[in-house]
Amino acid sequence: MTALHFLAVVALAQGILLAALLILIVLNRWFRLRRRARIHPRRLAVEGVMQRWALGQTALGVVLVQLARLPVPLAVDALVTWSARVPGDRWRQLAGALEREWWARIIRSNSRSARWWKRLECARFLSVAATPGDTSRVLKLLRDPHPAVHIAAVATLERLQSGALATAALERLPSLAPTVSSYYAAMLRRSRAVVVQLLLPKLRRTDDPALPRFAEFAARLQEPVLREPLTALAAHGDGEVRVQVARGLGSLPHAASLAALTRLMADALWPVRAQAARSLGMLADPASLAGLCAILRDPDWWVRLRAGLALTRFGAAGRNALLEADVGADANARNMAHLVLGLSPQALAEYAT
Amino acid sequence: MNELIRGADLTILVYFLVLNSFYALLLVLSIPEIWEQTRLADDEDFQRLMQSDALPPITILVPAYNEQKTIEASVTAILTLHYRNYEVVVVNDGSKDDTLEALRHAFDLYEIPRTYPETIPTRPLRALYRSRTRTRLTVIDKENGGKADTLNAAINASRFPLVIAVDADTLIEEDALLRLTRPFLLGRQIAAVGGTVRVANGCVVQDGRVTDARVPRGFLAGVQVAEYLRAFMFGRLGWNRLGGNLIISGAFGLFRKDHLLAVGGYDATSTVEDLDLVVRLHRYLRRHKIRYEIPFIPDPVAWTEVPETLRVLGRQRERWQRGLVAAMWRYRGMLFNPRYGRVGLIAVPFYTFGEMFAPLVEVFGYAITVVGLAAGAVNVSFALLFVLVAWGYGMLLSLWAVVLEEVSFRRYRRVSDLARLVLFATLENFGYRQCGVWWRLRAFLSVWRRKHVWGDMTRKGFEPATK
Repeated sequence: MTALHFLAVVALAQGILLAALLILIVLNRWFRLRRRARIHPRRLAVEGVMQRWALGQTALGVVLVQLARLPVPLAVDALVTWSARVPGDRWRQLAGALEREWWARIIRSNSRSARWWKRLECARFLSVAATPGDTSRVLKLLRDPHPAVHIAAVATLERLQSGALATAALERLPSLAPTVSSYYAAMLRRSRAVVVQLLLPKLRRTDDPALPRFAEFAARLQEPVLREPLTALAAHGDGEVRVQVARGLGSLPHAASLAALTRLMADALWPVRAQAARSLGMLADPASLAGLCAILRDPDWWVRLRAGLALTRFGAAGRNALLEADVGADANARNMAHLVLGLSPQALAEYAT
Repeated sequence: MNELIRGADLTILVYFLVLNSFYALLLVLSIPEIWEQTRLADDEDFQRLMQSDALPPITILVPAYNEQKTIEASVTAILTLHYRNYEVVVVNDGSKDDTLEALRHAFDLYEIPRTYPETIPTRPLRALYRSRTRTRLTVIDKENGGKADTLNAAINASRFPLVIAVDADTLIEEDALLRLTRPFLLGRQIAAVGGTVRVANGCVVQDGRVTDARVPRGFLAGVQVAEYLRAFMFGRLGWNRLGGNLIISGAFGLFRKDHLLAVGGYDATSTVEDLDLVVRLHRYLRRHKIRYEIPFIPDPVAWTEVPETLRVLGRQRERWQRGLVAAMWRYRGMLFNPRYGRVGLIAVPFYTFGEMFAPLVEVFGYAITVVGLAAGAVNVSFALLFVLVAWGYGMLLSLWAVVLEEVSFRRYRRVSDLARLVLFATLENFGYRQCGVWWRLRAFLSVWRRKHVWGDMTRKGFEPATK
């Protein structure tokens, strides 16, 4: 093959590709414009009907008719958007009525689809329109290997109170990445009564490797029933568990909490001591003032900062303690007291969060 | 002699064939990636995310140097992003103008003592401020030390586990932070994540936001729209599948702070601190056998102003190339080193031989083709073949990028903008490409002479919304 032949082949191939690309660009734009012209009025119609229905000015049947006219993904989008705006009882009526709609049945059947995006669509739909009959479907989606699917599915807990679903989500909690775990925890909090009962036995299994995650979740729940098991974990061998205990007890005022936190202020790990100091500040019990003054001399900077900030929550007594430290013999305590006393009330409020 | 010229020409032809085929491979790999990302972006429930406390807290780092005129608008726009938990740390890098005064006046700053340790050493801080009106805002005033040093000072002051560096003149879309955290919300082991940077020239800007995306009419800015699209839409997306994104744009990239601290933050001696940082991150994470990903996701968007004069653009490109040469030299131990996995075996060799040496090979190719034609060693067909392989292929790839943009995000709604975009993608290889080669060649000379100049970016600034 000579250079001329090769040139001809390359030029022809590039010419064809160039023409194909230009045609593709034009056709794509044309199809999209046409589609938009067809769909947009229907979307607006659904918006209008939903609004009227939410205000009680139109019947549920009209909403169903308009939703059925939209392509399925857009109908799911509309449901997700409106689910947050419509009161619970009315929304439950819609969810019940959707069980009989043909397109909703197709979406439900997608829970078994081999394609993750179909399962995701199903999970999104069920997160706003699930009924008790969907429990097994949601359970399956909660165990889905694709993260987007099980994360969408866990949002069902917002609307559907189910022990089975809460158990499945709670079991999965410790194995999840921190951000996903936080999202699960936020959803599980909606089923607080069920979750607390499920959590109690888990907090008693002290050799469970998942215990730090359960303790973290328990700390977030701020549930008085969980104070006792959390206090019992204050002497646990895992530092992460003790940090979570220290965090949790800060929102559970009780003599036992104070005692446990005072012990944790002497912990070998600085994150535990820092968290215990912070929690004692949140409780602001005068009995812990002396302990906090002492920990202002801690060798770790962060512990001293937390102790100093905690003292500011004790009113005049805490301020006097800081002023005393500001002119005291210990250089660490002096520096930290000086720093904290120089913070504006606004800065202190920000540190408290 | 003629044989030698013909052989050299053929070698260069094969080089371009291989290089452009690799780009085509990136393009093919980017198709499933863009499809998946578009699906996930379409199905994201931002309402629910905003209400949940699962969103990881983020510190936005804003280095500012002589930004007196634009700093208030930029910081205000950043402070009104749609995200639940974030703080903004603006660092005045010893500006010669009244940047600090402008900040003090606009946000009612008050001085506070420093409440954090200096984990990464930086130039001395002069003062630290908080705002009475915007509680998310911290301002640091420090002695001039360059962008990397400024970012390090901001990292030291940051409170949150994720940090994002944003140029003060970059316009971030309102929901960009929400979108950027998607990989974290999907539970992936993310070390850093990059978003798309688009060209803001010609766009309608209102209150620090791009309200109407336009393709600029000027050739130089317009052709950069096509260039940025190609670089982001399939360059970086394709690398996602090859496991080795070496660049997370310094204008818009989210990093895990603990990893940044572990590698010592940005390198104040580098002229392309973003490339240097990402390569260093790869090296550190691979060496320590930490599982990680550094993906690029296309739907979070930040808009930046690009140079509109040859002089400024030339300086920018020369600096980028200089940084690339410096980084590839500095991390040459990773080249073809299996210890660094696909980064060492694919990404670093590609950036070395495909990106760094490309201008040298190309200019050599032009020269040898001309000499070959004059000496009769190569015929016209061969010379045209060279042009087709080097330029024609490149033009097709640029048009593919436009196709990807059209089937996925379609930011440019008007037909006239699309037409201009196609035109610029087509014309990019005629004139602009050769200028790029020249600028990048100059960078080799600068490296040779050890001349390190940052080069000021002359910005026109964004005009308020006028159509």
